[in-house]
Amino acid sequence: MKIAVCAKQIPDPALDITYSEGLVSRPDEQVLDDTDRYGIEVALQLKEKFDAEVTVISMGKMGTEKGIQQALQMGPDKALVLEDDSLSGSNSLMTANVLSELSKKVEADITIFGTESTDGYSGVIPQQVSRMLGLPCISYIKAVDIADTVSLTRQTSTGSEKVQMPSNCVLSVTAGGVEPRYPNFKDIMAAKSKPVEKISLSDIEFSAVQNIEFIDIKDVSTTKQGEKIVDEGEGFQVIIDKLKELKAI
Amino acid sequence: MKTLIIGEVVEGKLSSGTLEIIAKSQELGLEFEVATVGTEESPNIGSESFKNTYLKCNETQLSLGSVANTLKTMVDEQSISLIMAPSTYVGRDLIAFLSVDFSSSQVSNVINFSIEEGNVITSNSINGGESEYNSKITSDKKFLLIRPKSFEEVQVELSNTNYETIEINSEDPEVFDIFIEEKTGPQLEDSKIVVSAGRGMVDSSNLSLVEDLASKLNAAIGGTRAIVDAGWMPYSQQVGQTGKTVKPDVYIALGISGATQHQVGMKDSKYIIAINKDEEAPIFQISDLGIVADTLSIVPKITENL
Repeated sequence: MKIAVCAKQIPDPALDITYSEGLVSRPDEQVLDDTDRYGIEVALQLKEKFDAEVTVISMGKMGTEKGIQQALQMGPDKALVLEDDSLSGSNSLMTANVLSELSKKVEADITIFGTESTDGYSGVIPQQVSRMLGLPCISYIKAVDIADTVSLTRQTSTGSEKVQMPSNCVLSVTAGGVEPRYPNFKDIMAAKSKPVEKISLSDIEFSAVQNIEFIDIKDVSTTKQGEKIVDEGEGFQVIIDKLKELKAI
Repeated sequence: MKTLIIGEVVEGKLSSGTLEIIAKSQELGLEFEVATVGTEESPNIGSESFKNTYLKCNETQLSLGSVANTLKTMVDEQSISLIMAPSTYVGRDLIAFLSVDFSSSQVSNVINFSIEEGNVITSNSINGGESEYNSKITSDKKFLLIRPKSFEEVQVELSNTNYETIEINSEDPEVFDIFIEEKTGPQLEDSKIVVSAGRGMVDSSNLSLVEDLASKLNAAIGGTRAIVDAGWMPYSQQVGQTGKTVKPDVYIALGISGATQHQVGMKDSKYIIAINKDEEAPIFQISDLGIVADTLSIVPKITENL
């Protein structure tokens, strides 16, 4: 079994996202999107059971590759990344085009994603990749039960449902679906010698086009001049009085 | 502009997300029809004021790939150029599949849109709702995923007539063990009061304090992405960019710092009360009433004195 698992490098999420000409400003040092840790964890659990080969796939500005290293530290075998200046500001379809080609390059049986990135949150890339690859998409996985077969529990709007994992498919894993592992010192050192192959746009079949034109960013901030009270014992009463005034109680 | 709204059935009728998009389409005078996805028998989704086609799926199959094929045919045959769906689990899958079929990327998380000289202009909320990101779609086919609660829903008489049904037969993976979450107590989407918890509750065992307060107020319970990721609460209770959008009369944020990710999902609540021990917490910038206090000790006091 071969598995491709997607990892996105994003600006430090503790800082506000800034934009330049409509694009997210990306420093040289970006980190692994925590959302991807769930997908990587599922990939590693499959690797342990089925002796699969796990390749991290990624696109975008690579910079110091910190985020790729963080992904490899968790336990995947290698990485295949694509960086090309012309992809800056890619729409979802362009991104999905690249990632589906990277999945093909590693001959993945199973391609795994988080459900949406923390900086772009378009929330459609796994589904688009599945459609491009002509494979079933098992989206919004919230639990994984790995025995001789793999049972996947999907989140639905009314509850959940289970699906047997097909031998060829694309998965998206929700945050909280599994408990991502923490690398130890040995894992961190081992990751440094794992291969990170870099390819360019000319190495893949790429046909997606940009169809979303940036117009502007408008400030619509509505900072409230609300009341702020430091509690000195009566804070609870202030809240109760306010709830009464609002006729909430 | 010929428009297709992809709708969903929830509890035997059109979902509120669907009704919101219908309302906006009527307001803009779009020439639209609806294709509604569901598994229920003869739901009340028909109306005299618009055409609806029911795409009835077998609930024991993951049939959205096949639903997308049927929708593709509709879009082709009727030369539809604008295709919209609520940003839900179903809507996201379908719009993603269709965007590939028509080689036209979607715009996700749309909170507003307009038609100007035949172009579709979309607005997204960024920076926790402090800014609006506007863009223009330049392709012939335009796909939008609309954030729920972006528009007021249309008030319309719905019946189980006035629509055509297409049975979706697929060879997609089989689904088993369907579990319907029991809806106990007030729901996030339609509760007048929402009480939400964040990391400031320190430990999942302290969520009982939140439950007690919510129960006294007859409020729905929500949480931040951080505590949902930590496994304290199911994803269905997540409020924020990647969770639900709520607009209750009163939103009470307990131990929530107010990351932009969270603000997007609750900032339009009519009245926001925030309790946080950090005086500088960003949540206070969008609160109507902020109390700087130790959340764990003040919450039981409120509950006791209600």
